[in-house]
Amino acid sequence: MALNRNKLYTFLIIACAAGYIWLYFGLPNNGLKINPVNVCLIKHVTSIPCPSCGTTRSVISLTKGHFIEAFKMNPFGYVILLIMFLTPLWIAIDIATKQKTLFVFYQKMENHLRRPSFAIPLILLVIINWIWNITKGL
Amino acid sequence: MDAQKVDMFMMANAKFFESHHINVIRERLIDLDESKWAMISTLQLKDPTTSLIVSILAGSLGIDRFMIGDTGLGIGKLLTCGGFGIWAIIDWFMIQGASREKNMQKIQQFLY
Repeated sequence: MALNRNKLYTFLIIACAAGYIWLYFGLPNNGLKINPVNVCLIKHVTSIPCPSCGTTRSVISLTKGHFIEAFKMNPFGYVILLIMFLTPLWIAIDIATKQKTLFVFYQKMENHLRRPSFAIPLILLVIINWIWNITKGL
Repeated sequence: MDAQKVDMFMMANAKFFESHHINVIRERLIDLDESKWAMISTLQLKDPTTSLIVSILAGSLGIDRFMIGDTGLGIGKLLTCGGFGIWAIIDWFMIQGASREKNMQKIQQFLY
């Protein structure tokens, strides 16, 4: 199952669609209330929030324009919103022009991120975010 | 390469590959030049069982995907709480196959 362009694009589109559907069901709850369904396995098992808990709430407050609130909830929201916004556009452009710029970019980023000089700071950021999440008690 | 050597290698490393790849690998290894034996025999392969354990324990953080080298998918899993928890469960069943495929990709560099 070596990754190729079409497989990656299908996967990304499915992931983005799932994200939008998830967001659609999250929106009527006025954001900062608890979601109707809590899917996080770590939180269910250990009652400790995981590094990405609160991302839905963060994205929802971003869509309403509460930027500081979103950052305080979980900074991952910014990354996710960016990915969810850019990926479908990029894929559409790639398919329309029959190129594979996103696929090449994805592979390049993967190779970059495997280097310790990139990976270690990012891992540290995730761990700091995790500690912050636990102290916030999401 | 010597058939006995190849059979020994296959016996020791069969669990690292998908069953439908094993015959292909064996045939290619027999055709291969003797000088590549040192590289083939010291190849570091990912153990599917280890990735399964990591997937069960830390699957929602995407660490299993990082481990087998799918950095992009790992980040996707990390950012979304293991794909809303669903992908994490799916990966308990997928990760062994995925790591075997990764091993196949790795050994393919030497086979062709």
